Amino acid sequence: MIRFEEIEIGYSKPLLFIPSLTLDAGKVYALVGLNGIGKSTFLNSITGQTSLLSGKLFLNQQELQKISKVNLPKLIAYVDSSFAGVEYLTVFDYLALGRSPHTNNMGKLNTEDKQVIQEVVRELNLVHLIEKDTSEISDGERQLCAVARAIIQSTPIILLDEPTAFLDYLNRQKLIELLVLIAEKQQKTIILSSHDIDICINNALEFLIVSEKKIFKTKVSDKQVVIREMEKDVLKSS
Amino acid sequence: MIKKRIPFILVIALLLVPLSAFIHLSTGEIYVSLNDFFSAIFEFKGNNSTNVLIREFKIPRILIAIVAGGGLALSGMLMQTLFNNPLAGPYVLGINSGASLLVALSLMSGFSFFGSDIGIISAALIGAFLAGILMMAVAQRIRSQISLLLVGLMFGSFTSALVSILESLSGEGALKAYTLWTMGSLLQVEFDQLPLILFIFICGIFLSFILIKPLNMLVIGERSAGLLGLKISQVRFLIMGITALLAGLITAFCGPIAFVGLAVPNLTRILLRTQNHSYLILGNLLFGSIFLLVCDSFIQLFSRQIALPINAFTSIIGAPFVVFILMRKLR
Repeated sequence: MIRFEEIEIGYSKPLLFIPSLTLDAGKVYALVGLNGIGKSTFLNSITGQTSLLSGKLFLNQQELQKISKVNLPKLIAYVDSSFAGVEYLTVFDYLALGRSPHTNNMGKLNTEDKQVIQEVVRELNLVHLIEKDTSEISDGERQLCAVARAIIQSTPIILLDEPTAFLDYLNRQKLIELLVLIAEKQQKTIILSSHDIDICINNALEFLIVSEKKIFKTKVSDKQVVIREMEKDVLKSS
Repeated sequence: MIKKRIPFILVIALLLVPLSAFIHLSTGEIYVSLNDFFSAIFEFKGNNSTNVLIREFKIPRILIAIVAGGGLALSGMLMQTLFNNPLAGPYVLGINSGASLLVALSLMSGFSFFGSDIGIISAALIGAFLAGILMMAVAQRIRSQISLLLVGLMFGSFTSALVSILESLSGEGALKAYTLWTMGSLLQVEFDQLPLILFIFICGIFLSFILIKPLNMLVIGERSAGLLGLKISQVRFLIMGITALLAGLITAFCGPIAFVGLAVPNLTRILLRTQNHSYLILGNLLFGSIFLLVCDSFIQLFSRQIALPINAFTSIIGAPFVVFILMRKLR
């Protein structure tokens, strides 16, 4: 669960205002808005990389500012829009990095860590990739691995920055379905930013629309409504 | 299968170290048998000339080849992981240049303290560390891998220009001392200095092993590692410290040695095919030692005809290899 209380985010001057908003566990939220409107800044403020100008942010009842740098990765997992792969880094070693907030100073995996990795690998059908080089698998497979790493991190909150950007239609649909399933089954709060409104509507995701320097939560089944909201920014500036 | 392949290669490398040390022993101007070698260690007699020769020349030279090869390879690996750049290394990023500049300054300053061993070592360490901090600041602003190398190159040219000015201003004695130092040689270390060198070397290795987890996390980039809880500024400072310590120490005693720190970490990664730093650290130490022992053996072999500086020899082998990596990675 994530709770926002009268928050202003931005750098020198405020970029976004979030009045009062609660995002529940067990749901996937689609963060939409035009380019450069502050979607990434919003995600960065939840990971603590962009500090809040005012207001309070709670992650599972804990105030963000009071959570230590060591404990934050136990609460939030973050997935970048693309992972290019690293030569000689095997999929297994990459997935195992997801356990690093939980392992000791030497980073050695214990039986519990190995069990978590094995379960996620089986659930996401990655068994055949495990020994492969992350630079030699396809874009879709790599994106799936990045999501797998976030799940392996075992956090109540997962943020994904345009996770479907490099995927074809079929893989997009599969990824969203998977996220919905995981959110429900493991009671996680998942936010993904996306430009693909159709697929978010098809999967009945709740929307977080960024428009006119504000973020608001809404349930929509009509694409035009979302687009009309987003267009307010364009109309205003023109 | 993968899990058995890497230890197998490492064990072979471990066996190759004494073998290349033996080759090194037998390529010298004066033939030394294994028997002579062991008697010099266990039954040392001050009036036996073979014993003295082995103790004063052979042992320091072999040990310093191992320390310099392993140490430069290790510090190269640390920098490549830190900057996420397979072309980084203590030489190309100006760590050696920083050390050289301060050594030149201290040798030519005229104060006798700065001409002493401790003086040169501390000057080299401080120079290496300052250069490291400078490169880290630059890397914060520059994202492109190639641009960072160009900055390192410019820094190298700039310091060597400063050194030339210093040379033209300094006296004959200091000039000679500095020129000899820059030639780069494994010959200048004396038996009594070995404990200090080995101590610093082992500290560097120990600290690297403590950093295995952060190093493995840095493989996926600073940002992702930070989101996994890596304390990035602390780790950066530690890695730079170890690099400066190792590269500075080796530069102080052997002069600048090029390409070992750049070529060996890449070779190690290609051979082991892993990004797991517990293997990479061991691999770099072993392959680095073997590489420099073999290079120095060649130098000994031709020493009657020409006195090859070690720096020239490592460049002859290292430079084409780096071009090979460039063509492979950057196309």
